[in-house]
Amino acid sequence: MTDCLIIGAGPAGLSAAIACGENGLKTTVIDEFMKPGGRLLGQLHEEPNNIWWNGCEEAEKLYKKAVTLPITLLLQTSVYNIEKKSGHWHVHTNKGSFKADLLLIATGAAEKSMPVPGWTLPGVMSIGAAQVMANVHHVKPGHHGVIVGVNVLSLAIARELALAGVKIEGIYLPVKNPATLDQAVPTDVFKSLLNFTHLAPSAFLKAGGYFARRSSIIQTAAVKMYPKNGFKVWGIPIKMRQAITKILGNNKAEKVCVSDISSSGRIIENSERELSIDFVCIAGGLYPLAELASIAGCPFKYIPSLGGHVPIHNEFMKTPLDGLYVAGNITGIESAKVAIAQGTLAGMAMSLAKNKSISKQRINQAIQNVKTTREKALIQFHPDIQKGRDELQVAATSLKNQLSKTAI
Amino acid sequence: MERKELIICRCEEVSLTDISSTIEKYQCSSREVKLRTRAGMGYCGGRVCRSLVDKAIAEMKGDQPSDEIPLTYRPPVRPISFRTLGGN
Amino acid sequence: MTSLRITKHPILKLNSKKQILHFTFDNQKFTGVEGDTIASALLANGILTLRRHEESGSPRGVYCNIGHCFECRVIVDGMEGVRACLTPLREGMDVQSGQKLPKPFKTGITEQEFRDYFRAGESQ
Repeated sequence: MTDCLIIGAGPAGLSAAIACGENGLKTTVIDEFMKPGGRLLGQLHEEPNNIWWNGCEEAEKLYKKAVTLPITLLLQTSVYNIEKKSGHWHVHTNKGSFKADLLLIATGAAEKSMPVPGWTLPGVMSIGAAQVMANVHHVKPGHHGVIVGVNVLSLAIARELALAGVKIEGIYLPVKNPATLDQAVPTDVFKSLLNFTHLAPSAFLKAGGYFARRSSIIQTAAVKMYPKNGFKVWGIPIKMRQAITKILGNNKAEKVCVSDISSSGRIIENSERELSIDFVCIAGGLYPLAELASIAGCPFKYIPSLGGHVPIHNEFMKTPLDGLYVAGNITGIESAKVAIAQGTLAGMAMSLAKNKSISKQRINQAIQNVKTTREKALIQFHPDIQKGRDELQVAATSLKNQLSKTAI
Repeated sequence: MERKELIICRCEEVSLTDISSTIEKYQCSSREVKLRTRAGMGYCGGRVCRSLVDKAIAEMKGDQPSDEIPLTYRPPVRPISFRTLGGN
Repeated sequence: MTSLRITKHPILKLNSKKQILHFTFDNQKFTGVEGDTIASALLANGILTLRRHEESGSPRGVYCNIGHCFECRVIVDGMEGVRACLTPLREGMDVQSGQKLPKPFKTGITEQEFRDYFRAGESQ
């Protein structure tokens, strides 16, 4: 019988497996995809020192390390159920059932969508889908299209697509409806972008962001005076005062309807025009994919800054359920580097649970590493991530009866 | 804006109008809205539309999100064949 | 129409020597390359519609591309519900798209249609 099972071979899952393996645990990692790496595979962005973070290469590094350790990697394997029976975790997949005392759920995140009339047409895909097509399979999502949804993910991937030779007309807001709400309001969207101006490619945007962050008056003025055709970031116009109101086409996306909108997202009459495209990307943000943790009976806390419902866990990545751990984006939307740090920590905690000798100092270092990685992270998906983490810690502490203060 | 053509749940093709008229007719909880319209109960297990449906219902009913997941997940979370279950 | 395959990239190393694979989609012959998923091979061939919604018949294609949404489900070598975005393309694969299903009881049918419908089933 294996010592621990890990669901998800992304940065968190692989890092945990490596930590477990280095401490002598027999580990099995399960993943639905045909390659290990999870969402790392599609990542491609520039860090401040002009060095490119190439997710495929990072995934390769983790994989190369993993193959030297007692780790079994089961790819193209889908988990449909998990349950606790006679003190063991049983993981049921389309390739059989597996059991172990320890289980780590590192299933990452899923994309939130934003409905626009016509969004079910072929040729309309999520922004993540376009990233995978372009960076993993080297196929463009289309020749010429638009992105709906202005947020850090859509900006980053828009640049990746442009690098791949895709023509992006612009990044627009979605039409306002009960399912899009604040994502369709220029003032709200502008505010959320201000947290990323330190990444802005031009000094003008950086400086502007610095001042705007400190004054709501400047913010309001900025949105009101926002140029009609948008500001270009990396050569791609961010059209914050324009909304995609419809996607049209005969059996596939061929045109979008664009309208000008007010600061509050109200459509300005008689401003509608059509744009010919061959693809549309929807970018609504990410949320933790916690369905398996839910089935296992794990309690949750709703924390918007972390993306939604997050499984409660302590600072050792352990949930209130015996032998059940979580790591990576399932614990809140952050970067791959944080996922790697969390995975390593979870692996150490699981090794401790199996009575492997790991010094208190090493564990505390791993905990500190997660915090430091978070602070150094350039791209924070939400400005209140630390607050969200603190909230989660409070929730975990309040479940003191079920959770001990240690890893096991 | 035409609500009828705005699909919220892709798998079951439940539109915004379906949801709003259900809320109006039955004055029911968000869980009941999903049970009646089948929004979130399709092939994808609600993965694509859950947050949309919750957001839309909350907006239309004025609900606040709680810590409990609104519609519980039930296994299997991936469609499986009878063969997988039967073991042969 | 120009191919959607990316042939040059300033950062990513592209492998131009990938093995060509042959497959069929709805009985039409196509080619893909080693490392493609069924979804990426179809997109590279300009195929956007992967199936028809079972009830409405509306065309559907790849949406999430990571196995969550199941919009890309196709029938591979006879097996249904296969996610095109997670399945590696193999030489000789036979891929079929799902179609709109008949719903005789939902739409209401005459007695004659009822008999015809079940007679059609019997002959299979």
